[in-house]
Amino acid sequence: MSWTIAVGVKQVPDADEVGIDPDTGRLDRASAPAVMNGPDREALEAAFRIRDQAGGEVIAMSMGPPNATSVLEEAVAMGCDDAVLVSDRAFGGSDTWPTSLTLARTAEALDADVVVCGEETTDSSTGQVPPGIAAHNDWAQLTYAEAVDARPDENRLVARRDVEGGHEVVAADLPVVVAAAYGEFEPRPAPLHRKIYGENDFEPTVWDAEDLEIKDEVGLEVSPTSVGGMETVDPVERKSEVVDDVDDLAESIEEVVA
Amino acid sequence: MSPELESDTVADPNYDDEFDAIVVGAGLAGSAAALTMANRGLEVLMIERGSSPGAKNVFGGVLYTPTIRELTDFENAPVERYVAERRFSMLTENDETAFSLRPGEWHEEPHNDSYTVLRGEFDEWFAEQAVEEGATLLTSTTVTGLLREDGRIAGVETDRPDGTIRAPYVVLAEGGNSLVSEGANLKATETRENVAVGVKEVLEFPERDGVIEDRFRLTDDAGVSYHYFGEGAVGDAFGGGFIYTNDDTVSVGVAYRIEDAATHDQSPEETLNAFKSHPAVAPLVRNARTVEYSAKTIPEGGADSIPDLVHDGAAIVGDAAGLVLNNGVHLEGTNMAVESGYHAGNAIARAAENGRVGAEALQVYPEALEESFVVQNLEHYKWMMDAVEEDRDLLFEDLPRAFADAGTEYFRIDRTPKESHAKNAKRAVLDAVGGWTGAAKLALRYRKVVT
Repeated sequence: MSWTIAVGVKQVPDADEVGIDPDTGRLDRASAPAVMNGPDREALEAAFRIRDQAGGEVIAMSMGPPNATSVLEEAVAMGCDDAVLVSDRAFGGSDTWPTSLTLARTAEALDADVVVCGEETTDSSTGQVPPGIAAHNDWAQLTYAEAVDARPDENRLVARRDVEGGHEVVAADLPVVVAAAYGEFEPRPAPLHRKIYGENDFEPTVWDAEDLEIKDEVGLEVSPTSVGGMETVDPVERKSEVVDDVDDLAESIEEVVA
Repeated sequence: MSPELESDTVADPNYDDEFDAIVVGAGLAGSAAALTMANRGLEVLMIERGSSPGAKNVFGGVLYTPTIRELTDFENAPVERYVAERRFSMLTENDETAFSLRPGEWHEEPHNDSYTVLRGEFDEWFAEQAVEEGATLLTSTTVTGLLREDGRIAGVETDRPDGTIRAPYVVLAEGGNSLVSEGANLKATETRENVAVGVKEVLEFPERDGVIEDRFRLTDDAGVSYHYFGEGAVGDAFGGGFIYTNDDTVSVGVAYRIEDAATHDQSPEETLNAFKSHPAVAPLVRNARTVEYSAKTIPEGGADSIPDLVHDGAAIVGDAAGLVLNNGVHLEGTNMAVESGYHAGNAIARAAENGRVGAEALQVYPEALEESFVVQNLEHYKWMMDAVEEDRDLLFEDLPRAFADAGTEYFRIDRTPKESHAKNAKRAVLDAVGGWTGAAKLALRYRKVVT
């Protein structure tokens, strides 16, 4: 048998280019170019390794605005067999609950055996979506996976998980959601002809909330998260003093230590 | 009911012979070639090793734009400032003797087609013009070699997996460090006497707005091009220094023979720092913060170093073809790069229309270039590098010293009559050049610099 491996990828503001508005203290995301979330590249690499072992297809899925097609084109350039964009104005304001529901339904519609996600996204850093997908579909989950080992004969996926004080090796029955530990899966370079194809000629399939029959279960209204308020923390002024010789310095240190 | 994936996804894409031409490098020569070919209906693939066009490109800072203006909607181009002043300055260790031009005409459109630009922005824009005409741009991909079939060039090899792609024509626009052309024996590796090293910093002035306008006497979009020679610029090396004003930054750098960089115990970085510390330069760049540091090699072999420009299935353009003019007064390369890309693009388009790939079918490119200002200028100044090399001590050390001394003497304020000051001034210069006979010989030898 061969596996269908779905990979969640997200378009995020380039973290290197995001500035902080000095007046409001808010992140200025608008001016930063949109790029693929870094951990998702590693999720793609983890998926390709699973495909190398088990055979099958890797399909990238993204929930986002229409211009998020660029990250899916990049995913296909890197080696995905296909890609689907889930896009609908109804998704606006969704927190991790409806987001993971949407991706769970997408994975189901793709008939996925394995879902691979990055550990977290660089623009919200909750890490809640991969377990959320597993919870919505009642599938197994392997979070913080440092290494993956596909066992197609057993219909199981084995992962080495990073846990406090060491690691554990866990086998999960399919279908399973994997969150790839960041820094463990060095992405392979895109092959030349695939890169030309992905960036220039490929167009992803687009599904909307209606297609997934979740129109009333997404958006701001059904998102349980509410932000209580924002607070900018001012840096603490540190005491500094210039001393002329070593004895004075020793005295100052003694004062503090005493 | 479950939604379905659209089924037109290509499982195993292959672009062999899907493009009429591959352009190696999306710098100014490459994009000019790509734009020209795309304009004439060819399918063009540009392969650029940087993450975006211009990310890897370095030059001093002034772009001469007559040909780019012809090829594009130039009013949208991301230029920094037009050049409103050109200043040529001789530096000894402590003195400056300068000559400056600020013609009124340069303030008016088209500003003598001379603009300062930052390559990161400009090259990206120029490549985008080719993409808008239908060319395909592939970034973060390095061409590592050429594909040969039956002796002719039939495509390129890249650093990517599955990285070979076939196409009837290849344009080599890889820049001065032309490893692909050299690796394929299309040109000889340049000797180090004919290569210069350029190092450059882009400086900003964080303390307040208007620093550049105040220091360089500028308003609006006007800018300056300052060139410096003599031992105060690059020590006893063969070359010079420069300052160009951008919109809110300044480009400052030095360029000199790589031979001197290799044999002297001063690194290019130290040479640049010494230049920036010269008493005539330091006030222009004080309280600046370096936002960018870059270096490159510059081919300066002139007309004699131009390799065979066309081969079966390939053409060489821009810096890779050694098309750089440096005669002291004129420092030009990017305009020649654009011109060569334009002529090569036209030649390939014509050959493609006739279904021919041999070198003889591309011969119109070198012929057009011969007739253009590019080769005309290189030929005209061919003699000059040799002459300057012969006179380097005189030109870079003795003369700047003599002019500084002469100026000091001529304008000296004391209680002796001016006539004796003038006599001393004259003697300072004549001693340096070897009397009236020497001066006449020198004038004769270098008359072609300006004529």
